[in-house]
Amino acid sequence: MNRYFYYGFLYVALINIMLFVPNILLQNRYTGSISSMALAIPAGTLLALLFASSITKFPGKAIPEIMYEHHPRWLVSPVLWMMAIVYFLGSVIVLVAFSVVINRFYNPDTSSAVVLYLLIAASVYYSTRSTLSLLFILEMMIIINAPLIFFVLGKALFSSSFNWDAIRTVANYIRVRPNIESFAAATYIFSGYLNMSMVNRALPPNFRLKYRWLIPLIGTIALLSSVFIPIGFHGTEGVEEYLFVWSVTADSMKMEYGFIERVLFLYLILYLNLTLLFTTFGWHQAMEFIKSTFKSHTPKLDEDKTTRSNWIIGIAFAVITALYSLAVNEKLNFNIAAVWLIVRLFVELLAVVWLFILSYKQVRRTRTKRKEGNEE
Amino acid sequence: MRGATTRIAASLLVLLLLGGCGFKDIDKRLFVVATGIDNSGNPDKPYRITLRLAVTSPKIEPGAGQSQVETIEARTIAEGVRELKSYVDKELDFGQCKIFMIGEQLARTEIKPPLSWMIRRRDIQAISNVSIGYPSAEAILQIEPKTERYPGNMLFLSFGQEGTESSYTVTQLAFELGRRLTEKGLDPILPIVYPENGSYRINQAGIFNKEKLLTILKPEETQLFNQISNTELKSSIGGNVEEDPYVLTVGSIRSTYRTNKNDQGKLVIEFNIRMKGLLEEAPKMVFNKDWSVIEHHIATQYNTSVKKLLTKFQKLGVDPIGFGLRYRATHYSGDGSSWKEWLSLYPEAEFKVNTKITVEGTGLIK
Repeated sequence: MNRYFYYGFLYVALINIMLFVPNILLQNRYTGSISSMALAIPAGTLLALLFASSITKFPGKAIPEIMYEHHPRWLVSPVLWMMAIVYFLGSVIVLVAFSVVINRFYNPDTSSAVVLYLLIAASVYYSTRSTLSLLFILEMMIIINAPLIFFVLGKALFSSSFNWDAIRTVANYIRVRPNIESFAAATYIFSGYLNMSMVNRALPPNFRLKYRWLIPLIGTIALLSSVFIPIGFHGTEGVEEYLFVWSVTADSMKMEYGFIERVLFLYLILYLNLTLLFTTFGWHQAMEFIKSTFKSHTPKLDEDKTTRSNWIIGIAFAVITALYSLAVNEKLNFNIAAVWLIVRLFVELLAVVWLFILSYKQVRRTRTKRKEGNEE
Repeated sequence: MRGATTRIAASLLVLLLLGGCGFKDIDKRLFVVATGIDNSGNPDKPYRITLRLAVTSPKIEPGAGQSQVETIEARTIAEGVRELKSYVDKELDFGQCKIFMIGEQLARTEIKPPLSWMIRRRDIQAISNVSIGYPSAEAILQIEPKTERYPGNMLFLSFGQEGTESSYTVTQLAFELGRRLTEKGLDPILPIVYPENGSYRINQAGIFNKEKLLTILKPEETQLFNQISNTELKSSIGGNVEEDPYVLTVGSIRSTYRTNKNDQGKLVIEFNIRMKGLLEEAPKMVFNKDWSVIEHHIATQYNTSVKKLLTKFQKLGVDPIGFGLRYRATHYSGDGSSWKEWLSLYPEAEFKVNTKITVEGTGLIK
């Protein structure tokens, strides 16, 4: 079970590029994003550890079951809806952003809508599967894509046109006061732990998360590379000019003896996979949150047949995404992403603190029970 | 059974989505292999755009690469390219274009508009080579060298380290030029391509400020620039010891620099170069002589020429090596005032060059 936690953590850390996290941090590079990043690393790690250790106190239960157990319906249902909306909106932003990128670099002649509809169709199909099959998909996708990730990272760091002076110049600005926008963007890297809120149903009893040092390690590497590698390639000033800063950065690497020379295409395939994975999980979790607010719902880890409610919600998601893409242009999508990152930070904080209190109560209750049992 | 029919129907529905796209087959495309942008001298249509188009052929053998050159004058580069489409029968494809050449005349007035067009276009590679064509980009692109296996490959094999590895050729990729044009403390430098008997000669480089071409370096200076700014380079250095000429092939070269203020508040740029190599040309029986004398002589001569080159950059007010960026990286001052400080310090800066040369051997003979 350990590895599934880290798979989920890893893909969320990597998808940050599609949520414009590097753009936001690079925009603020002289005005506090570096110090925000330095703060985000301990803060993100702390949130992740707190959440992971709290939720493992409830083996086999997801967030909705835990909350309904302790609180009345009227209080919990709106919170669950809110979390569903946040998850869903995040995936929609990524999906729309990626359909534009694909359209720009792969096939400029078609409209990005066609690409988007194909992505939506795939996402509807995958997100309606059961939680358990999604976990297997997750493992397969990570195993397929991990070599690509390391290749692109290594290619960047050992490139001869990588300028370390530019990186040092920007890193100097760690002394500037942090700001909330950059902090929210930087903590996003660590929010992969939230996958546990649904995946916890597959958790065996007496589970303890091992290799916790991986959380700050993966997070720091992902955060630093997604901000500093573009600076190394495009300089302290030029980096701000690019809209798809990572696509251009990937395009600045060269494989002379590769099958194709442009690293860009490798990078796009990698992000196609990660985008589909992210949307699948985002929609699936939003779907489970919404379903759990229905009174007749009984949660199942692995249904035999895809239920009708899954299809209805999935198709509703698809329609909303299509409408969103019609109403929102590239610029607005970027601005929505910036707001989403901040809102997400507060929703996450709420979820973590709430769950921590519940788990604390739970632990105390079992302890007193055990004591009473001993006395008898 | 019913499930299978639904599935087939669904997959057929997906096919409908593919009907409307504007995809063009490879035989309906015309691949641009080199793009040249010049000054036309006409105030209404200031740009002259030259495209070298590959004539695709199944034969790949030396001399089989054929191409077609189209030229147009236009008000802007983008409009020119669009208008050129009406001159040809197939869709123009920039995806394979690895050479972008700016005419020398245009480079002397402005360099930003052609570059911003290149960077903005999605199908142009950030790893394409940018260079200056002398006397004009069009004149260079009109040349069809005899040794090309496929159209345009001679030009891009000349740059980088795929084909020839010349120590006189400066290589600048589009994204590198973009970085140098915007970076505070790092100025652009571009290779210059000269026509030479139906072929090219690329052994000089042009020095730019943020706007335009200022001066053209001599071949020796270009090699010197390459040596001190590039670690993976096969090159040679020469020098005289008591009238005898010596040439050393440089096996490895490592250069580091420091930008610090001395006690008087004056900027001192300290350049340390370490070289190792074999003697390639030397008088007879050099094996028995004291090598340290040779090393010392060559190093002193090298110091003077590097210092001369750095002073030349300083007098022009440009910084293609990146001293300014290093100063910004090592002197933080919060509100970006280290950059202003640098601007006032650089014209007065003093250069100290220390070269350490190690002769590893004398080749096959004594």
